[in-house]
Amino acid sequence: MKSISLYTDNGSWLVKLHPFTKLFYLLAVILIPLIAGHLYMFGLTILISTLSLLSAGMLKKALPLIAFSFTILLTIFIIQGIFYKGNVSVLLSLGPVSFYKEGLLYSSQIGLNVLNMLLSFAILVLSTSPSELVEELEKKGFSTKFGYILNSVFQIIPEMMGTMHTISDAQRSRGMETEGKLITRIKAFIPLISPVVMSALTSTRERAIALEVRGFGAKVRKTYLYSHPYTATDQIIKWISLLSIVIVIALRVMHIF
Amino acid sequence: MSLIEIKNLKYRYPGAAELALNDVSLNIEKGEFIGIAGENGAGKSSLSQALLGLIPQFYKGAYGGSVAIAGLDTKTAPVSEICKKAGLVFQNPFNQLSGAKDKVYDEVGYGLQNFGMEPSIIHSRIKEVLTQLGIWEYRDRNPFDLSGGQLQRVAIASVLAMNPDILILDEPTSQLDPVGSEEVFHTVDELTKTGITIIMIEQKVEKLAEYCDKIALLHKGHLIAYDTPGAIFSRDDLLELGVSTPAFTTFAKKNDLKLPNGNYPVTISELTGLIRATGIDVKPLLYSLNTPNGKTSSEEVLSDAPDANFKISDLHFSYVPGRELFKGINLTLDNRPTAIIGQNGAGKTTLVRILKGLLKPTSGNLMFRNQNIASKTVAELARAVGYVFQNPDDQIFKYKVLDEVMFGPLNIGMSQKDAEKSSRAALELVGLTDAADKNPYDLELSDRKMVAIASVLAMNTDVIILDEPTIAQDYKGREKIKEIIRSESQKGKLVIAILHDMDFVAEAFSRVIVMAQGEILDDGIPAEIFAHSDILEKAALAPPHLMALKEALIK
Repeated sequence: MKSISLYTDNGSWLVKLHPFTKLFYLLAVILIPLIAGHLYMFGLTILISTLSLLSAGMLKKALPLIAFSFTILLTIFIIQGIFYKGNVSVLLSLGPVSFYKEGLLYSSQIGLNVLNMLLSFAILVLSTSPSELVEELEKKGFSTKFGYILNSVFQIIPEMMGTMHTISDAQRSRGMETEGKLITRIKAFIPLISPVVMSALTSTRERAIALEVRGFGAKVRKTYLYSHPYTATDQIIKWISLLSIVIVIALRVMHIF
Repeated sequence: MSLIEIKNLKYRYPGAAELALNDVSLNIEKGEFIGIAGENGAGKSSLSQALLGLIPQFYKGAYGGSVAIAGLDTKTAPVSEICKKAGLVFQNPFNQLSGAKDKVYDEVGYGLQNFGMEPSIIHSRIKEVLTQLGIWEYRDRNPFDLSGGQLQRVAIASVLAMNPDILILDEPTSQLDPVGSEEVFHTVDELTKTGITIIMIEQKVEKLAEYCDKIALLHKGHLIAYDTPGAIFSRDDLLELGVSTPAFTTFAKKNDLKLPNGNYPVTISELTGLIRATGIDVKPLLYSLNTPNGKTSSEEVLSDAPDANFKISDLHFSYVPGRELFKGINLTLDNRPTAIIGQNGAGKTTLVRILKGLLKPTSGNLMFRNQNIASKTVAELARAVGYVFQNPDDQIFKYKVLDEVMFGPLNIGMSQKDAEKSSRAALELVGLTDAADKNPYDLELSDRKMVAIASVLAMNTDVIILDEPTIAQDYKGREKIKEIIRSESQKGKLVIAILHDMDFVAEAFSRVIVMAQGEILDDGIPAEIFAHSDILEKAALAPPHLMALKEALIK
């Protein structure tokens, strides 16, 4: 089965980190540049995230994520560079088109912010098994029902995608064209999507029974098979992350930044 | 006190007019193996759900009488308590996965986690059941990647892990191929030695006869009888109740072979034992076995076979470049109803999908009635070749059965009037005339399969391909499908079916093609094919029950 989770266990130090540690890191790396309000702080956090991914051998897998956002960012640069409402100082002119410093600065801020978030999320998503994250959250009192929903999404969506293919074959066998003009494709939509939705709905009931007979509704506290070791490295990263946030806030309040 | 006590149990589903269970009373003792038999809609699944308290706690509706399991009243005790005593395994292994675990190992431990057991106990319990069921090697696999038979064993393991006193199996093999079924039955067989109480709902009567201490026979919600397999299968009214008799019993009845207790033998060993003990002449018995289908020689069948429909020469196909599945297949298909048999992965589905144009061969010639079809689109071929998929839910999308059946005919350009006429005729053929205005989703799975068959029949194609048509069908459904194959053949259509049910193949088809690993191993009339035990063995197929009997008698 093709998984929709991007996680792979490559045995690197990022995988070995506790999921919560990565959540603390994520929080710090996203908040710090925003609170500090300086562009170079983005540079710093982006550098840390990139180096972490590189050292864990995951940078290559993060690249498609960045490439995907790149086209959007480029558009923002062009539009804001030319049309930003606070544009005064021309930076460079290409024929009749002028790019302004203010617009470009503004779009760099958006661009760096997006890049920073993407990279830090990449660390979490690429190195953490979704079910492990949910399990750790449940242990801290997160609703087990909601946890189940999150987990099942990762299992059931790929399953549904596989079904789509069979359904398309079944309807084509009954003479339905699925290719060609737009109108043909629109007509094909209902016969293709209804069986997916209906069988998902009918199997929901069966799934509910399956859970019920496995004690899902038991009124005792669940136990967990695994516990992710919480090492000294986890402690250190967690406290550095939290302290950095506090320090940046303090510096900002004292107007040192 | 019995382990399970059912007293005057009555139940009606919300919105239904008829009682699903009507005054059922029976007691089951610890360690017994109980079978439940009956046609579709007899109340078998409802009974199993009542045992776990899913009826009336999960399914509402009108409920009367009482069910007690190991002293728990299933009407009031929480399902999460009852399921510590009794585990349920159901038909579709995919739908009983928790859906929250990505490893077999974790899936099996899921129930125990919910009960709040100590992790160390859970780990040892998982290891124990996985080893017991012979699936320890799959522990790190994703359950969704396993085959049906493997997955059903995971489902049984998940239930056994909770250490229930009672195991309820609701047609656990109805959606599996023969090897998958055999894996599951073998597992169940092993379990009987552990002293666990087993309740099994099953359409494969030979299996019920082989394993059960007692069988509960249900019909329209009533408990007709609760007795030994011998007594149940010796009844004369079984066919009226929609239950078939084991092949060996039918044979014994035909030849008037009775056991000293007045019952007919129900298993092959009982039957051969009886024949040996009484010293009857085996020759006439063998002779009566030699005429399946009423046809005895290949010439007789070939004589009424007209010109070729499909002509396949040197067909090559591969899913992954470099790994060829078909290395040059040559095959001619005439008008005889043809069954394709073989293991999963043998290439049966791939072959028929190529005939249908859903897959394109890498090279080779594919002619249909002297036309090259290798390059035609699926929709273009729709008029000539019809294909009924295995799972009806992959195609049903209309709110009315009639509209669903008319979808195909309208697509291939029939007028509204013709499409309706043809669809009503198809519905009549599959026995669903009365269901024309119903919502297909309100029908049972077996009837939804019939809707899918009708929706292809209505297109009036020259060729009809059926993928596993007998799955989920009871005795009456199987007879219906046999009738459809016969009548379509008589209309001059070519019926091709992929099947795992060898008894059905022997009864309904005039030509059998055996496939293994992308090759055609054998091709001929059923009586000949099933006599080639070496080839059957190579294709990992079991002969029909009567062929097995013949072999046993010759010895």
